[in-house]
Amino acid sequence: MKAIKGKPFFRGVKLAGHKAPTENLPVERAEPRGDVAIPLRQHAGAPAEAIVAAGQHVMRGELIARAAGAVSANVHASVSGEVKAVEERADGRGGRCVHIVIAPDKVCEDAFLPPLSAPDAEAIVERIEACGIVGMGGAGFPAHVKLRPPVPVDTLIVNGAECEPYLTCDDVLMKHRSKEIVRGAKYMAKALGVNNIIVAIERNKPEAIALFEQTDLTVVALKKQYPMGAEKQLIYCCTGRKVPLGKLPAHAGVIVQNAGTAFAVCEAVERGKPLFERIVTVSGGGIASPKNLICPVGMPLSDLIDACGGVKDAVKFVAGGPMTGTALTGAESVVTKTTSGFLFLTREETNADAPTNCINCGKCADVCPMKLMPMQTEFYTNAKEYENADKYGGVLSCIECGACTYICPARRPLAQAIKTAKENLRRKKA
Amino acid sequence: MNLIVSSAPHIRSPRTTKHIMLDVLIALLPATAAGIVFFGWVAAVTIVLAMFTAVLTEFVWYIIEHKIWRNGKETLANFAAQFDFTSLVTGLLLALCCPASLEALYMPVLGAIFAIAVVKMLFGGTGKNIVNPAIAGRVFLFISFMAMVSYPEANFAPLLSYTDGALSTGATQLGNFLKGTATISDLDLFLGTGVAGCIGETCKLALLAGYVYLCVRGVIKWYLPLLYIGVCGLFSVALEGFDFSAFLPSVLSGGLFLGAMFMATDYVTSPKSKLGNIIYFVALGLLTAGLRKATGIEVVSFCILLMNFLVFLIDLAIKPRPFGFVRAKKTKEAKK
Repeated sequence: MKAIKGKPFFRGVKLAGHKAPTENLPVERAEPRGDVAIPLRQHAGAPAEAIVAAGQHVMRGELIARAAGAVSANVHASVSGEVKAVEERADGRGGRCVHIVIAPDKVCEDAFLPPLSAPDAEAIVERIEACGIVGMGGAGFPAHVKLRPPVPVDTLIVNGAECEPYLTCDDVLMKHRSKEIVRGAKYMAKALGVNNIIVAIERNKPEAIALFEQTDLTVVALKKQYPMGAEKQLIYCCTGRKVPLGKLPAHAGVIVQNAGTAFAVCEAVERGKPLFERIVTVSGGGIASPKNLICPVGMPLSDLIDACGGVKDAVKFVAGGPMTGTALTGAESVVTKTTSGFLFLTREETNADAPTNCINCGKCADVCPMKLMPMQTEFYTNAKEYENADKYGGVLSCIECGACTYICPARRPLAQAIKTAKENLRRKKA
Repeated sequence: MNLIVSSAPHIRSPRTTKHIMLDVLIALLPATAAGIVFFGWVAAVTIVLAMFTAVLTEFVWYIIEHKIWRNGKETLANFAAQFDFTSLVTGLLLALCCPASLEALYMPVLGAIFAIAVVKMLFGGTGKNIVNPAIAGRVFLFISFMAMVSYPEANFAPLLSYTDGALSTGATQLGNFLKGTATISDLDLFLGTGVAGCIGETCKLALLAGYVYLCVRGVIKWYLPLLYIGVCGLFSVALEGFDFSAFLPSVLSGGLFLGAMFMATDYVTSPKSKLGNIIYFVALGLLTAGLRKATGIEVVSFCILLMNFLVFLIDLAIKPRPFGFVRAKKTKEAKK
């Protein structure tokens, strides 16, 4: 079907794409040279619980940690080999969590689940749960939880907006695996009991749009605007519906799943393959040769750096996109299910100057897609008046897209102030 | 390896405060040039003096604040790094609302010192001032040197000549208009030819060019100055008993264009929210027209100064309404 033009959302910011270095590159497979360390917290919710012990041999795709609680996800071995340790490690993102360290044996034995043929709705959701599939856009919300919405829905949106600069992992996946994404989307639609499937792609990816136009799904060509890939904005641009404040997208009758998630669902249903590898974009001015790599979960960042020719002049390592990703403390971080990319940013790219006084220009409010007032939030947060920060700035509805901080001519850490206020308000409530 | 670790986002827009201030300076170039053409080299000297004094005042404040006698070179480098052109903008704006008079060259100097030292730096520098430094500097001079109005072609506060009853060469169109003896054509008022007044406020065409530049560069919202000018003009019309011939003279006279486009739009001293700004600019228009009628003198700078003090209250009255906001009533019904 011919692509429909998506409408723009309120405000937002225009970002330079920086996608050219990797958008037309093929996907290369990267193999870990040493051990892999698979973290047990790769998703939103509770960390998984390890069910293997040191010394045990595991096969690729074998369950090594079980979901703990309602919002959690299974974790599978991404290589076959011997478990060397189950230990707490720094995750390189400022936190610590239990990692299962596996020494690959180069034999690569697979332990996939049996393929499903013509599954019913419940079987699909159970398979997605068993395969540990989480939202691959970055937040990592367990996919099976989303597929059991509290209220009936009528639309499934496959999110291929990829509005973050630099990242091309969804773009290359959509270019090379469009058929699988369509089948995966149809499995999820079946699980939800909806007929209306929308594939949403930003207009800077014409090749992907053309490919999906050949399928029987509705394609929406979105305006290039940040944060287009944010759930609430995406739903508005595709369907014109507004998600009520404090409610789930399901309350607007919509479920949004990332294109990468749709691909993983297809693999899980048709091949019984659990989620243990993903495409990672390695880019930024500080890396010798930017690449799209398909990597096993748990592969150390240092191996990726070597595969891309090494780092030069980078002042900032980022896991994920430059707007919402996490700054890393070093090269000890590993690939997780939600790692869409690793960026190596130079000083010129980051523009990381010291903040100056707020000049009250209002640009942060002009770009806020949630129509908040970040300057007010920062003002009251600095005074530790968190209630007022929410009252005058609107803390709790913030989607943490970072547009305010990006645009601020005084380089003030607005998003950070909002997160601080949010955390303090949550603690007070609890 | 020394890595920067900070909260997201990790990229920043290249535009900083410096770029915005530079844009304002560029936008003021046509008005500055027009002022120099109309009022001669004295105007140029006034402008240079005001800008130089403004920067010098900030510099002196900085070296005292940072105790240059302890680590001299470092302080100098730091000053250069943190200098954001705001005092240049203040100096230029102040000069543009000074008279071009050889005898009154101390005025831009005193005004700039007052604007930078008392209004800006004393409150904490850029972004911390409560009122617009250039406006405060102008009002300071206005009150201190009322006698300056006796200089014919250099009326610092030209409209006072109307109250003096000395309607000679120095009277501006507004004075004439308010007295009901308009003598200068609207076109002359627009171009600033043969109109007395301050250096930068006479040529409306030049100010308009600067306004267009600011809008194109996204520095100001295009509708705000128009709101001020339009409301002021219409309210003047209403006060004259709906005499629509009063619209153009009241809009084109005095410092309304300069005030609406470059002074009232000052970020620091205007409200934060869009709605707040609309309230602020409409209030300015009403206040200016009303006070002009009541007092018979030019009051743009006084009105802006007055409204600057009310900005905090406007900000307190307005709360954001986020995307997806549902009215409290509606949710109650939904719950039922």
